[in-house]
Amino acid sequence: MSVIYNSMYYIASGGLILIGLYIVLVKTNLIKIVIGLNFIDTGINILLICIGYIRGKTAPIFSDPRIKSTSVVDPVPQALVLTAIVIGVAVLALALSIVIKVYEHNKTLNVTKIKGLKW
Amino acid sequence: MVNPSLLIGIPLAFSFVVPLFGLISKKIEKYIPIVALLINTAISFILIPQVLKKSIVVSIGGWSPPFCINLVVGPLGIFLATLISGVSLLISIYAVAYIKKEPTEKYHMLFLLLVTGAIGIVLTGDIFNLFVFFEILCVSSYALVAYNKDKEGAEAAMKYLIQGSIGSGFILIGIALLYGIFGTLNMADIANKITLANPTFLFISMAFLLTGFGVEAAVFPLNAWLPDAHSSAPSSISAILSGIAIKTGVYGIARMIYTIFNAEGILTFVAFLGLITLLIGEMSAFKQNDIKRLLAYSSIGQIGLVIFALGIATSLGVFAGLFQIVSHALAKALLFLAAGYMIYKVGSKSITSLNGLGKKMPLTSFAFTIGAFSLIGLPPFAGFISKFLIVYAAIQVKKPIFLAFIAIALIATVIEASYFFKIVQNLFFKESKNLKNITETSGYIVIPIIILTISIIVIGIHPQLITGLLKEAASELLGRGGYIAWVLGGS
Repeated sequence: MSVIYNSMYYIASGGLILIGLYIVLVKTNLIKIVIGLNFIDTGINILLICIGYIRGKTAPIFSDPRIKSTSVVDPVPQALVLTAIVIGVAVLALALSIVIKVYEHNKTLNVTKIKGLKW
Repeated sequence: MVNPSLLIGIPLAFSFVVPLFGLISKKIEKYIPIVALLINTAISFILIPQVLKKSIVVSIGGWSPPFCINLVVGPLGIFLATLISGVSLLISIYAVAYIKKEPTEKYHMLFLLLVTGAIGIVLTGDIFNLFVFFEILCVSSYALVAYNKDKEGAEAAMKYLIQGSIGSGFILIGIALLYGIFGTLNMADIANKITLANPTFLFISMAFLLTGFGVEAAVFPLNAWLPDAHSSAPSSISAILSGIAIKTGVYGIARMIYTIFNAEGILTFVAFLGLITLLIGEMSAFKQNDIKRLLAYSSIGQIGLVIFALGIATSLGVFAGLFQIVSHALAKALLFLAAGYMIYKVGSKSITSLNGLGKKMPLTSFAFTIGAFSLIGLPPFAGFISKFLIVYAAIQVKKPIFLAFIAIALIATVIEASYFFKIVQNLFFKESKNLKNITETSGYIVIPIIILTISIIVIGIHPQLITGLLKEAASELLGRGGYIAWVLGGS
C-alpha cells in the first residue's frame, strides 16, 4: 500500500485528466464538454503541484527564523500553477461566452445536432 | 543598442492602449496597430545585422540565465519575428478598411495580442514562458474567429477552443514532466542535461509536447479545427492565422525536436507525418467549392510540406523548410486578403460566383493569380525556390524512402496546381453573371496586396536577399551546442 500512499497525488491528477478527456470525448452537451476541459486543467495543476511537493515540508515563506531553505517545498511549480489557473479562468470564460453564442444561433447545446460546418 | 524585449513589449502595451483611444475617438484607434507594428518591424530590421554578428540573450531581473526568465534572440528567432511583424503590419493596414463591424477596438486589441503571443513564442528561452505566450496567441485567436458573431463563426470557434485547449493542456503536462525530471525550465539548460535522463520519461514528455504543438500546427490527425476556423473568421484573421499562427506551432515542433530533445530517431516519422498532412490537405482542398475552405485546406498541405522539409534534417532541408515558411506566409496572406475582398464585393464564398471577376477587378485578380502560382511553385515566384530546394534536399539524402516520399509530394503538387488553375481560369476566362456594379478596390485594401505581390516576385528573383539570414537560422536549429553556449555562457 505504500506505493499508493506515496504516489497518491499523481494518481489523483492522472485520474482527473483522464476523467476530463472522457467527458470531452463522450458527452454531447457543450456545457459538459467545457466542464471536462476544466477537469483537465485542474488535473494538470495538481500534477504540477505534486511534482514540487515534498512530504512533511512547509510553505516557502521565511516568516520565522527557524525555517531553513532545506525544510520548504519547491516554490517554482506553485508560481507556475498560479499562472496556469489564471489562464484556465480566461479560457473557461471565453468558452462559456462562445457556448452562449452557439446556443443563440442553434437553440440547442447538443453537439450532434450542430451541423452548420460539415466536415 | 535596441533592446529586443521591445519586440514583445510594444504590441502588448499598444494593445491595451487601443480601447482607451476607442473611448476618445473612433477614428484614431484603428491606426494604432499600424503604428505599433511599424515600430516593431523597424526594430526587428535594426536587430537583424546585430544578431547575425552575435546572438543576443536578454536576462530579466539581473540573474544569470539558468535562474531567470530570458529571451534568446538568435537568427531563427529574429527571422520569424521579422516575418511576423512584417506580415501582420500589412494585414493591419488591410484591416483599417476591411473591419467595419463593431466593436472594432476589440478587434484591434485582440489582433495586437495575437501578434504579441506569436513574437513571444519565437523569442523566449524559457519553456513555461513559451506556454504562456502560446496561450495568449490561442485565446486571442479563439476570440477573433468568433468575431463576426455569426452562426459559423461561433461553431468554428467552439471547435477550435475545445481542440486547442486540450492541445495546450498536453503542452503543460509535457512541461510538468520535464520540470519533474530536470528541475529547470530554461530550454538551454534542459537541452544541456538531456542525456542524463531516462529515455522513457523523455519520450513520454516529448510525445505530449509534440501532440500539443501539433494541434496548433495542424499536423494530420489533429487538423480538424483548421478548415472551419480559417474559413469562418474574417478574412484578415484568416490571413494572420494561416500566415503566422500555424507557423508558431511548427516553430514549437522544430525547437522541441532539434534543440531540446535532439531526437534524431523520430525525424523520419516526422517527415512521414508531414507528407500525410500534405497529401490529405491537398486532396481535401481539391473538392472544395468554398474558396476560403479551399485556401484553408491548402494551408494544411503547405504546413505538411514545411514539416516534411524539417524532417529531412540536412542543413539544406531545414533551410528549404524555412524558405517555405516565408513563401507560404507571403503567398497565403496575399491569397486570403485578395479572396477576402472579392468575397466582400461579390457577397458569396462559392468559387463559381467569382467567374469573370478578372475583368472587373483586374488588380486583385492578378494578385490572387501571383499568389496561387507562387504556392504551386511556378518560377519566377518565391514558392518555386522553396519547393525546388525541398525536392533537391530530399534527393540528396540518398535514402530510398525519401525518394518515395518526394514522389508522393510531387503528386500532391500536381493536385494543388489543378485546383488553383481551375480558379484562375474561372477568374479570367469565364463569362461573368450579375457582376454589374463591381469596381476595383482602392485605398487601404490595395497597399498590402501590392506590397505582398511585389515581395513574392522580388524574393523569387533575388532569393539571396534572405538566404544569409535563413542559413544562419537553419544552422541554429541543427547546431544545438551553439544555442546552449549562447544562453549558458560559452563555458
